[in-house]
Amino acid sequence: MDCSYFRERINNFIDGELGYLDVAELQQHLSFCPDCAAELAQLGKVRGDLAAWGRLELAPPPGFAERVTAAVELEPAPAKPFGRAVNDALDKLDETLGRIPLPGGRTIPVKNVIGWGLAAAAVVIGLERRHLRHSRELKPS
Amino acid sequence: MPTSNLHKWASLPDPSPADLARAAEGDARAFTLIVERYQGMVYSVAFNVLGNHTDAEDAAQEAFLRCYRKLPQFRSEATFSTWLFRLALTASVDYKRCAKRQPEPVEVPELADEGSPDLGDDVTAATLTAALHDLPDDYRVPTVLRDIYGLPYQEIAEVTGRPLGTVKVMVHRGRASLRLRLRAEGARPAAAPDGARQRSDA
Repeated sequence: MDCSYFRERINNFIDGELGYLDVAELQQHLSFCPDCAAELAQLGKVRGDLAAWGRLELAPPPGFAERVTAAVELEPAPAKPFGRAVNDALDKLDETLGRIPLPGGRTIPVKNVIGWGLAAAAVVIGLERRHLRHSRELKPS
Repeated sequence: MPTSNLHKWASLPDPSPADLARAAEGDARAFTLIVERYQGMVYSVAFNVLGNHTDAEDAAQEAFLRCYRKLPQFRSEATFSTWLFRLALTASVDYKRCAKRQPEPVEVPELADEGSPDLGDDVTAATLTAALHDLPDDYRVPTVLRDIYGLPYQEIAEVTGRPLGTVKVMVHRGRASLRLRLRAEGARPAAAPDGARQRSDA
């Protein structure tokens, strides 16, 4: 009997990838094929042994942690992600520039006011450039 | 079905956020505590993927260096141990991809855990290590990732850079080779394979 189809199915069964109809078909085959039944049992055992092995912790060589630490000490300090570096820089700017008091007892960071000012300036410059370009286009040559 | 061994590592208590923050700022002492705590896990992963002590030590060290460099990017969506476990896996697979070493004799690792492994009656640490060692690399790495660490096939395909179907075939062939090898070993008296040495001899 050609069992190659079911040998593949046995692996799929071990991986939990068979639907119930496929499982029923495999079980029917296993009921009269001792070779495939033995293969399923042995593969299941191999997988069990491997999983048991993976739960064990192996002992690293003596002095391993010291060697890793020595290698780490040669490394530059880890770089912060860009977003966090920007946040930290803004926080530092906050501490340096302070906050502006508003009516009602609230305060606003100076850096926000500077940011809004820069944004407004960018808009004004953009509009001005657009206006100049428009005027040049309308000017008779 | 065996559950993923990721669960075991994920259950390790994480370092405190303060310790992680200090290590991320470059505090070598804080990072040393992380190394001391997780060296067994990282080394085990590297040894199981690479199969010899020299490569395993190099890959495990690389995993910790990657951890140090990427620590500021660590987000607590995953546990730290799971995050480090994945770094160890990818560092080991990358090492295997880059380093094409000459075949080395089988090396039987020492266990950090107390007691003997919960293996079948006719399987010892020596026979299992030797059987894994004898697998071709193309079969060994996906089989280790699938059946020792319980990674999904899709993730193995991503880590190894191979198509999903190829990975499945490799795992199936790896299992078949291990089955034949362990059956043959079981049929004769258990003995340490030639060239086996304890790690402390290294």
